[in-house]
Amino acid sequence: MNKLLDLTLRKFIRYAALVLLCSIPAYYLLVDLIWQHELKEHNRIVGETVKQNLQKLTLSDQDLHEKISLWNQLRPETKITPADQYRPDSTYTIYRRNKYIPAKGLDRFQVLVTYFPVNRKYYSITVENNIEESYETVLGIAVVTFLFFFIMLGGFILINRRISRRLWQPFYNSLEKIRKFDLHQQQPVFFEATNIAEFYTLNVNLEKLIAANIDTYQQQKEFTENASHELQTPLAIVKSRLDMLLQSHPLTPEQSKIIDDTHRALSKVALINKNLLLLAKIDNRQFSGNETVNLSSLLQDQILLFRDLATDKHFRIKQKIAPEVLIAGNITLVEIMTTNLLMNVIKHSKNGATVYIELSPHQLQITNSGTVRLRETRLFKRFSSTSPNVPGTGLGLAIIQKISDQYGWIVTYKFENNSHSFCIDFNPPALKHT
Amino acid sequence: MKILIIEDEIQLVQSISEYLQTENYTCEYALTYRQAVHKVLKHNYDCILLDLMLPGGDGMQILEEMKRLKKMDGVIIISARGAFEDKISGLQIGADDYLSKPFHLPELAARIYSVVRRRNFGNSNIIDENELQINLLAKTATINNVELSLTKKEFDLLLYFISNRNCVISKNALAEHLSGDIAGMLDNYDYIYAHIKNLKKKLNDAGCRNYLKTIYGSGYKWEI
Repeated sequence: MNKLLDLTLRKFIRYAALVLLCSIPAYYLLVDLIWQHELKEHNRIVGETVKQNLQKLTLSDQDLHEKISLWNQLRPETKITPADQYRPDSTYTIYRRNKYIPAKGLDRFQVLVTYFPVNRKYYSITVENNIEESYETVLGIAVVTFLFFFIMLGGFILINRRISRRLWQPFYNSLEKIRKFDLHQQQPVFFEATNIAEFYTLNVNLEKLIAANIDTYQQQKEFTENASHELQTPLAIVKSRLDMLLQSHPLTPEQSKIIDDTHRALSKVALINKNLLLLAKIDNRQFSGNETVNLSSLLQDQILLFRDLATDKHFRIKQKIAPEVLIAGNITLVEIMTTNLLMNVIKHSKNGATVYIELSPHQLQITNSGTVRLRETRLFKRFSSTSPNVPGTGLGLAIIQKISDQYGWIVTYKFENNSHSFCIDFNPPALKHT
Repeated sequence: MKILIIEDEIQLVQSISEYLQTENYTCEYALTYRQAVHKVLKHNYDCILLDLMLPGGDGMQILEEMKRLKKMDGVIIISARGAFEDKISGLQIGADDYLSKPFHLPELAARIYSVVRRRNFGNSNIIDENELQINLLAKTATINNVELSLTKKEFDLLLYFISNRNCVISKNALAEHLSGDIAGMLDNYDYIYAHIKNLKKKLNDAGCRNYLKTIYGSGYKWEI
């Protein structure tokens, strides 16, 4: 994932690198052109000076010849030689080894050859001048360019950081607030004031959106709560009426069966209702209190109760419970959670199966055998019972999840070696925010 | 024994009083807060069944008023609120028990029985049932002065049957009594049979007459 400002920075740097890279040959050509132009001019001045000074002298042929020969010995870079005829001036560059300082290697020379008459004879003068080699020029320019490029890079990064700190700060503030927002907490989010129009619009609309969300959530919660409350009394009436019906004489076995079936269904409805209320209450943070709960003894007691249920289904419970495991939480909630966990595993165990219950100081794990992996994505959602032929309210795991959430415990489900395993981590590593 | 039912749902009141009459309780009822306050202050009852949400007021205030006047009637809160806080504060203010709706009538009868016994027979709390004798304080049962070795659950069941004499108790009510909410999650109540079978056997072996009858398809009945 890229950060907004890094993305623009990267583009800027790429563009700057391209421009600077192109500037290297351009600078080189320009510098070289100026060099050549200047040296040509220089050579012409030298040539012209020598030519005119030579022409001004009135010397005999013999004298002239001696003077030129001496000149050539002293100043080989401006060599004068007799020419057979007059030719136009020529200029060129040439690479040659410097015979006086051979270690320097090849040198580049700008050369002018010009012709002139003295004593009715033609002479040519070759003026040479050392010119900077092209690779040296390129190297120099490249070094300077790269230096500037890095200065620019550093500048970009600094400026970018400053922009992100100042200009984009409100945006990042809002982002952080949204990240921390939790619908279950029911805390409205207030964004800091900003005088940048886009951020202002963003914040105002986010506030609206969040407020609407909280409102909807609240309504839904209240609805569940009220509906569940209102159902309790009619359920009580039905139940008591059925109890009375059972007292009537005579009652045929068929009628008894109907009453029994109705009682069972009613029990389930009552439990669903109760669980929905429980979920609403946990949402409302109505279970305060952070007592120290001795999970070891609580589990031992519950296992005793479940053994009673387990015998008639013919499965075994194997337990490995560390002594004196203490956790902080509301005792009622912890009890509800462990009951639901145990009930869940017993409900889904076949005859003859073995249930493993393992409690270590930081973790509770309950394992039973199974054939098919459960659908993890739906598992902890309300009313998503995966097998329709198993009784249950479809709320057990949702309750476990909700209670764990309240205390920051982590519930995980694994399917390994043909066993389902539910694990609650009471001491999870700090949540990583991505 | 006089019972006052404070509850605004007349149908529920009817069921409760019909059922309790078979147990030889005399029932009166109050449908509103005003009626309830009036009756509570004027008469004495062995047990008051108190709903918390009443037209005209909160049942908890009646409880507080009773406590202020040092009225000694037994009180069982029957509430739809079922909240754990309500339960705790209700018991703190002085209620004897708390039963959340919906409940089985035999469960209510058992709770009333226990409250009444506790209040009226404080120190010598012994139930005599012909050859059977139950000591509520020591939690022991004897038949012809020979002590039965009952498990905690079996003793609990025995008391439950006796507090619902001559009434049919459904398996569902027994399951809820023994395992609470878990009953709603169970697909069969087979484990109840095991406990009842054991209880019956122990009673028979000790020479107790067959009071505990199985009503085919319906449940069980303690007939005397």
